[in-house]
Amino acid sequence: MTLVRQAGTIAAKDLRIEVRGRHALGTILPFAATLLIAFGLSIGPGRTLLRQTAPGLLWLAMLFASVLAFRRSYEAEGEDGALEGLVLAPIDKAAVFLGKAAAVAAQLVVLWAAVLVLVAALFDVSLGGDAGIVVAACLLGTIGLAAVGSLFGVLTESPRAREAIVPLLVLPLAVPVLLSGVKATSLALAGLGSQAGGWLALLVAFDVVFLAAGTIVFEYLVED
Amino acid sequence: MLLTAPNEPAVPAEEAAVSLSRVTRVFGVTPALVRVDLEVARGEVLLVRGPNGAGKSTLLAILATVLSPTYGSGSVLGFPLDRGRDEIRRRIELIGHTTRLYEDLSGRENLRFWARLTGLDPGRVDGALESVGLAAAADERVRGYSQGMRQRVAVARATLREPALLLLDEPYAGLDDEAKEAVDALVARTAARGATVVLATHDPTRGGSAGRTLYMDGGRIVPDPTAGGPRP
Repeated sequence: MTLVRQAGTIAAKDLRIEVRGRHALGTILPFAATLLIAFGLSIGPGRTLLRQTAPGLLWLAMLFASVLAFRRSYEAEGEDGALEGLVLAPIDKAAVFLGKAAAVAAQLVVLWAAVLVLVAALFDVSLGGDAGIVVAACLLGTIGLAAVGSLFGVLTESPRAREAIVPLLVLPLAVPVLLSGVKATSLALAGLGSQAGGWLALLVAFDVVFLAAGTIVFEYLVED
Repeated sequence: MLLTAPNEPAVPAEEAAVSLSRVTRVFGVTPALVRVDLEVARGEVLLVRGPNGAGKSTLLAILATVLSPTYGSGSVLGFPLDRGRDEIRRRIELIGHTTRLYEDLSGRENLRFWARLTGLDPGRVDGALESVGLAAAADERVRGYSQGMRQRVAVARATLREPALLLLDEPYAGLDDEAKEAVDALVARTAARGATVVLATHDPTRGGSAGRTLYMDGGRIVPDPTAGGPRP
């Protein structure tokens, strides 16, 4: 119960900072929109091809945009040494990981809603009767991405870290989320949502593995 | 205290607030702290002086469990540095070079966050801010605070709980007189209730309430050259 309270306190703090800074709305959403437009322009005007590639482009845009969200999540901790305060605080360090993951996931859910609308408009895609499968894939993918990003995002605050360390670590690890999400979304958009259960199960497994791993190993990443 | 010369009586470990034995900390191949022996009695106010790079910050970081010793051993408040980290952190407060505040939160929001996170009463926040003269600016974002105001918020955070060991690492750097007085008042209050204070500063005008002064240079505890004694 204490862990949940501490994680909730950290998540609420992160969301308050996010609302004040409007980073997701001001930076990440325009970035995702620009990516989608660039992808669409590179593919050309063919409607059939655009519809076929829409699921992949949607998930790629969200994956790249989420990396910005992970980076931003830890920027506030580095501005005035706040992360050291969290490390020294007499709390379970897993609460920091879970709180940050929850806050990033909340931001990504808002981002998903905006990006889905954008994809539907730009690529002439209708969610149809399998919208629930798309939503489930997005939510499960969000949890997995938030877990991976919150676990490795903290490395950007290491004195020896380089700016590129988060994408270098997160993007390869997120490949199962990308593949499962694209497959589940493709099936749903094709009206074959009933066949997407295996891919959704893979997303659930990914979420469980990385939430558990983050809860266990986060302490070792932030300590000396 | 008693620094650690072998012929000096050592404070029994169970009574010492700090006990270090041959503690060494190396960054890469650069030693920041070299075989430091140190005993600080409970209730003592210890002033640590020395030039930049002397090892003062590394010493305090080890006492605060931010860093681990590369070699050597020690205990803080009776808990070993290597296995008692969580117990030590429950009982100490560190005010360091950074104030560990969130720029986009107000002073009041920062303190309420820390109070809720660590299970303290958020109702004490207003009084703590008043005690450092920040009640009027409590709802302004920290981003707009001066360095002195930030440090006063850090001092207010330290008063939210009553640590058994207060560690201050160059707490006067870049501060105005009002903020320096807030730091001095915190040291005085902490000492008055019998807690231990370790204050590292190279500001010669501060630390007058210390019961003992320790001088560091090159990562070692050395005789104070300003005291007129022989240098090693």
